Amino acid sequence: MLAMLLVAAPAFAQNQEVLKTKLPTPLFVGTPVPLNVPNLEPPMRGKRPDFYVPAGTRNLALNKKVTSSDNNPDVGSLDMIVDGDKDGNEGSWVELGPGKQWVEIDLARRASIYAVIVWHFHSQPRVYRDVVVQVSDDPSFRSGVTTIFNNDFHNELGLGAGHDLNYIETYQGKLIDSKGAAGRYVRLYSNGNTSNKLNNYIEVEVWGKPA
Amino acid sequence: MGQAGLSPSARWLRRLAFLLIALLGLLLRLPQLYARPMHTDEAVNAYIVGQLLAGQKYTYDAQDRHGPALAALALPLARLQGAKTFAELTEAELRRTPVVAGTGTILLFGAAAEIFGFVPCVIAALLFAGGPLSVYYDRYFIHESMFVALTFGMILSGWHACTRRSAKLAVLAAACAALMLACKETAVLHFAALASATFLYWLWNLRRRSLRSLWRLKTLLTAVVVFLLVSLVLLTWFGTNWSALVALRNAGPNFVARAGGQGHAQPFWYYSHLLAGGRSGALICALACIGVVLAVRKREASPFALLAYYAIFVFVLYSAIPYKTPWLALNFWMPIALFVGLAGASLWRVPVKHPAVRVVLRSTCLGVAIVAAVLIAHDTRQCVFMHPADEDNPYAYAHTSEDLLGLPTELAQMARQEGLASPRIAVIAADPWPLPWYLRPYAQVGYWQPGQPVGQADFYITSTDAANQYADQLKNFHADFFGERPGVLILLWSSATQ
Repeated sequence: MLAMLLVAAPAFAQNQEVLKTKLPTPLFVGTPVPLNVPNLEPPMRGKRPDFYVPAGTRNLALNKKVTSSDNNPDVGSLDMIVDGDKDGNEGSWVELGPGKQWVEIDLARRASIYAVIVWHFHSQPRVYRDVVVQVSDDPSFRSGVTTIFNNDFHNELGLGAGHDLNYIETYQGKLIDSKGAAGRYVRLYSNGNTSNKLNNYIEVEVWGKPA
Repeated sequence: MGQAGLSPSARWLRRLAFLLIALLGLLLRLPQLYARPMHTDEAVNAYIVGQLLAGQKYTYDAQDRHGPALAALALPLARLQGAKTFAELTEAELRRTPVVAGTGTILLFGAAAEIFGFVPCVIAALLFAGGPLSVYYDRYFIHESMFVALTFGMILSGWHACTRRSAKLAVLAAACAALMLACKETAVLHFAALASATFLYWLWNLRRRSLRSLWRLKTLLTAVVVFLLVSLVLLTWFGTNWSALVALRNAGPNFVARAGGQGHAQPFWYYSHLLAGGRSGALICALACIGVVLAVRKREASPFALLAYYAIFVFVLYSAIPYKTPWLALNFWMPIALFVGLAGASLWRVPVKHPAVRVVLRSTCLGVAIVAAVLIAHDTRQCVFMHPADEDNPYAYAHTSEDLLGLPTELAQMARQEGLASPRIAVIAADPWPLPWYLRPYAQVGYWQPGQPVGQADFYITSTDAANQYADQLKNFHADFFGERPGVLILLWSSATQ
């Protein structure tokens, strides 16, 4: 109880609240992943720890415009990425072509972004390769780019080598702490996955407040 | 139905037709043999061939290896292609063995024309040459293609042995049966099905004809002796491993346990669902069912009736056993092809008095044939060439992911970067296959079960659950995930300083 109070106290002091996203039904029992091993993201045991965001933060990506390096997905349509449906079954995901691909969400106006949660695929354990998430005011992402996540260890995408860790997709999605990065556009890259060369997205949430 | 009244030139033309169909089958089976990742079972079989190339003897192990017949055929073929060691073997070199077996099966339809008729056999040969299931598994380095060819050979030579009362053909049938057993232990299911079918055929279709008119005791005994001799020679690897007989005796309980499922349990309708799948499956199955009905509706001494009984018994046996894998469905493809052939030939020859009706009927037959050919071509292209290892491909069962092909590439690249000519690689996983295949170029590879003490290595490859026990050894290593099979991940650990 004391520990919880110690963790929560600063959050309350800064008028923060717990980010509350609705999680889909889990579709597989977690793959055993090594614990306490450096350079590997530890597995999530049970529910993800509470993540605090400033009061009034909401999902700004819901039903916003999505563009992609592959505007004709093999499966589904780009609007499904921001439709609020996080179900892991077929019919809920978009499948982009093989290799390096990106999707970009236009938040319609500049925002301070505190968290991005991405669900690539969660009906079986998979790792998506070279996941990079960036924020910018430039829709072409040529200038003013803030990288908030990068696990492209070998710099396959040419955006610079990343130091974030690989992770196994689960129904809880991957929560990326974007530390208030400001911008109108959020771009997510990937480069195939451990099951095939394709790129899937079930849902992306961008939690923030208009700047 | 037979070819007795044919002129020599007509016979040669018929043989040429089957040769051309076999050539078509070969052309469909040979391209891109290197492209699909090695399935675990293929990797195990490849390892056995590698042992034989190294001069070791084949040791029968009922647990996971099956009999030596596949390796016995693959070894000379690999040598002919220039392979000298396991490390030098390639996917294409190994997969040419089932290609040869599958092409042999197509040619056997030519040999079957005397029994089942020319037109049904041409249709059957075409279906086997281009069908998605047969093309897919004839490019897969497992026992099934060879097993089906031997089964077909046994049925054909056995039929001729009885109808011609030929001792030579009885010996050939016995040799085929022995090779079947030396190929896969599931041969006993086929022997049981064929024995039951023969009994039913004798009881019903032959109306309990005198057995003396079918075979002589001396011929039967000769066949039994040949069966035992060939089985002994192969299973003991030419007399060098007599303990194989004990292993074979002990194989029974192992296979009974395996039949219960062991992680591969599927419902009764699994094979029906598989065969009727794709765009062409339903049409092929419907035609095959028509063929079966045509074969059994009359109480006559037709080889199709015997084949129908055998096919039904085998299908029910395989369906009733909980353990099921899709490649076992290749065993049904040979009778299915023949029954589609019978249906096609019979529908074409339906006696119709009115010429206009006959034209309509035959036009419909041609239309169905064209539609079937287009649908089969589509399914074969998709399953065999476009998505051979895809999870959605019904034939790619627990298949090695294409992603795993990146592991040896990355390993080689990092070894070069670190200046390691012969890196030490430690694999820690309860089931490391098919990694021995992909790590075959490296001389210093060790395999450990999780929990065992592991020496120092330049690279570690671990299952996701094993690494936790080696935190100290891995603390300065960076992990990269690779997909081994759908839902199964492994980790390649390399120096974090890279």
